[in-house]
Amino acid sequence: MDTMQQPTVNHSNFTLERNFPASPERVFSAFSDPAKKIRWHADGRNSEIVAFEMDFRVGGIDRYRYRMSADSPLKGAILSNDTHYLEIQPNRRIVIAYTMGIETAGENRPFSASLATFELLPTATGTDILFTEQSAFFEGADGPEMRKNGWTSLLKSLAEALSE
Amino acid sequence: MPNLDQPGPPQRPSESIHRVFHALGDPTRRALVERLSETPVTVSQLAEPLAITLAAVVQHLQILEESGLVRTEKIGRVRTCRIEPKGFSVMEQWIQDRRTAWERRFDRLTDFLMDEQSDE
Repeated sequence: MDTMQQPTVNHSNFTLERNFPASPERVFSAFSDPAKKIRWHADGRNSEIVAFEMDFRVGGIDRYRYRMSADSPLKGAILSNDTHYLEIQPNRRIVIAYTMGIETAGENRPFSASLATFELLPTATGTDILFTEQSAFFEGADGPEMRKNGWTSLLKSLAEALSE
Repeated sequence: MPNLDQPGPPQRPSESIHRVFHALGDPTRRALVERLSETPVTVSQLAEPLAITLAAVVQHLQILEESGLVRTEKIGRVRTCRIEPKGFSVMEQWIQDRRTAWERRFDRLTDFLMDEQSDE
């Protein structure tokens, strides 16, 4: 057993429950309508949207590309998100598979692959989303290393913010 | 009595968040913070309901003050303690930064849905 190899993929599962003050129809349309989705899906804090292509139908693929700002942990790198739609029930359910990666010289190296499920449940005041994500994080493609750099950088920004 | 009025040297954030969590990791210090969140009081008033010595309260206060959660000020002979809201925002920011990408997305989705509604 001494020669047993360590696994090189880390897995993570988590769930979130959130209530939104809008009908399931309006919440669903924030996922299906590109003009709406771009308003909330992209994190504009330290990146610029380079591509936001959507094909919202079962079998369709979204392609998102973000250029990280020079002062972000990724220093100008292109962050990629390819989202594949596996299941769509209007106003009720969306299931996607997506990879996140770093694109260099047109080559996309994923650092994680995830299955994500959104269940939309109507409530008296709006809609509950039950979100479940099951992810695999790869080695080498800088997943953990990048995260570590991310933390270091976040702590650095915090220091700067506090010293102002 | 230690000098509580001198500001310390600038701290690295890992150090300051460490101090905040260390400060709040003790039940007596949490009780002091809970009391101060209601109203500013003097050191002796703070010590009164607790079954500990004044010297022990002063030591706890020093740790709380170094963490940035509490401030004390001596006016005349009396040292008054109060909450320092800035110290809590260090902790809030730290926790906020550790929320997942999806939680932040859902925060933005909520904002978007509220904006959309008010535009109608």
